[in-house]
Amino acid sequence: MWQQVRQALNQSTTDFITRLARLLPGFVALAIALVISLVAAWIIAAIVRRLLIGIRFDSRLERWGASSLAEWSPRRSPALLVSAMVACAIVVTGLLIGVAAFNSEITSVFVRSVFAYVPNIVGAIIVLFVGAIVARFVARSVLIGAVNLNLGYARLLSMGAKWLVIVLTVAMALVHLKIAAGIVELAFGILFGGIVFALALAVGLGSKELVTRSLARDTKKPPVEVLEEPFRHL
Amino acid sequence: MAEVTLEAQPVPPWAVKSIEEIAAADIIIGILADLSQNEMAQVCTDLGTLTGNPRIVVLQKHPTASAAQVGDSEPKVQPEGASSENSSASLWVVPWNLQEPEMPSPLATFATACSSLFAAGEKLGVRGCCVVVSNLEYAPPKWVCRLAEPLLDNSFDFVAPRYAVRKFEGLLNNSIIARLTRSLYGRRLQSPMGPDFGVSLSLVQDLSNGNSRNRDGIDGGNLLASLAPRTACENLRVCQTYLGARRNPPADSAAVSSLLSQVLGPVFSNMETNAACWQRVRNSTPVRTLNQTQAIPQQPRTVEVGHSVNSFQQGVRDLQDIWGLVLPPATLLELRKLSRAAAEQHHFPDELWVRIIYDFALAHRLRAINREHLLHSFTPLYLGWLASYARQVEGAGPAAVEERFERLAGVYEAEKPYLVSRWRWPDRFNP
Repeated sequence: MWQQVRQALNQSTTDFITRLARLLPGFVALAIALVISLVAAWIIAAIVRRLLIGIRFDSRLERWGASSLAEWSPRRSPALLVSAMVACAIVVTGLLIGVAAFNSEITSVFVRSVFAYVPNIVGAIIVLFVGAIVARFVARSVLIGAVNLNLGYARLLSMGAKWLVIVLTVAMALVHLKIAAGIVELAFGILFGGIVFALALAVGLGSKELVTRSLARDTKKPPVEVLEEPFRHL
Repeated sequence: MAEVTLEAQPVPPWAVKSIEEIAAADIIIGILADLSQNEMAQVCTDLGTLTGNPRIVVLQKHPTASAAQVGDSEPKVQPEGASSENSSASLWVVPWNLQEPEMPSPLATFATACSSLFAAGEKLGVRGCCVVVSNLEYAPPKWVCRLAEPLLDNSFDFVAPRYAVRKFEGLLNNSIIARLTRSLYGRRLQSPMGPDFGVSLSLVQDLSNGNSRNRDGIDGGNLLASLAPRTACENLRVCQTYLGARRNPPADSAAVSSLLSQVLGPVFSNMETNAACWQRVRNSTPVRTLNQTQAIPQQPRTVEVGHSVNSFQQGVRDLQDIWGLVLPPATLLELRKLSRAAAEQHHFPDELWVRIIYDFALAHRLRAINREHLLHSFTPLYLGWLASYARQVEGAGPAAVEERFERLAGVYEAEKPYLVSRWRWPDRFNP
């Protein structure tokens, strides 16, 4: 009997060591992939950082209306943020390649699904970026137009317009990422409708006093045809 | 750098027949103003007195005729009342169909009208083209001849108008355009952007032969804004002639913003195009004035500046973030101090005003923000300056008003080194 026990133990030890030995190349490949990706990430991030600093990426971004990106960036530099994101992407790619080297069906399926999801992430980032620029443009247009029309609530209108665009953009990005699309659509509909309804109430009822004061200022003005309009600009 | 050019337009089909019949002319005059029949007859009579037997073609705005009707009408050879024995000129009056429903703005209509006028002028081989847009009052005798004669003599390339000074009229021109043109290009023109003017055919061809289109497109604003700079930079012969007082339509305060955008946009674009020229100019020189200005009765007006001051104060309150991308911190601080003053004590210093103009011109070039946003955000500043000016000249006569603008012109010239240094080294200070 002891001989059978010894045989069983020898058999299981041999099986375990064999399986471990089969996994070792995978571990080595993973380690090598990680090291190479870390080195590549460091080099490419440095190149990207220098390139972006050279084309004054931070100031151009601010001019395009995406200055809020600076608040989320390390040392308030979007160029550093972009180079860090590039580095992370390269390291994650190296990790996935290393994981795929284990040559197991589960890990292969996992890696394939991750790569299949990458275009959705890229699309969502583009949607958010464009949405931020459009929101800033719309906010500025509304603000300047409202100030030139002497509307007392110009800033409120501008902020409302900006947040409408941002909410729309975030909802589009979440749908693109396929994150609870049904819930997002419903929540967006409720939120967007709520914002529009609130703005309408604010103008019609909630800020009645503001509108009344604004209109009273206009009606109290002396007839402008006689007094104000001596100005001829051209 | 892209330059303002005129695209060579074909002669409109309704005018081809008339132009072919006339074959050749010495001068062509386009009348866009709404002249009554009597006024038009007087114009034709005056033109008939020009010496030298000139052949004159007058394109008269014919707003009610359709293109077919206009094309069918025969050109008049002699106006009523003009005696063929006494007049030395041959005169044709061609109805000028300008109804372009698809035109987006009056300036676009003006640009199309000028293009067709210049095309007809080139076809006729004229020596010069004149454009009359304004309805004038207190006009001197034979005022239309004052635009045509310098071109017929071949003495000048650009005949600019000079109007009677009224303290609350032509404010955009007096506060910015004329002073800026004088400071940049060294020519003391009262109205560098017309709108009534005369140009020699060589200048028209010069505008047409430009290498590339202005990236902002060709429109009336571009054309008017480029005349004075082009003549200054190419050392062409310029004069100005007195035409009386313009009868201006009432201003719509809500449209000030779009007016500023339409006028200042081309002016700033021209600064960018002609940067190499105006940076070399050191001092301004007077331009030959052909006829003396006459005094006209002033219309006494009481001015209410509260609305303009409120607009300015709201601009300072709400547009700080946008102005912060254009103006230096010192200027923003001064504007904030200014906005805290009451309407009765509102005073906009000329030095501050001029620096703001220069900063906006630079921001327009650098595209610090969207150009339309930039020009529209300028409106509260303009209204603030207007309010200050109105307070200063309320009881002043024409001489005092002229002196006031002369002082402003001096400040523009004194602050030019500020503009030149910021233009050449924009990175040295970046708001």
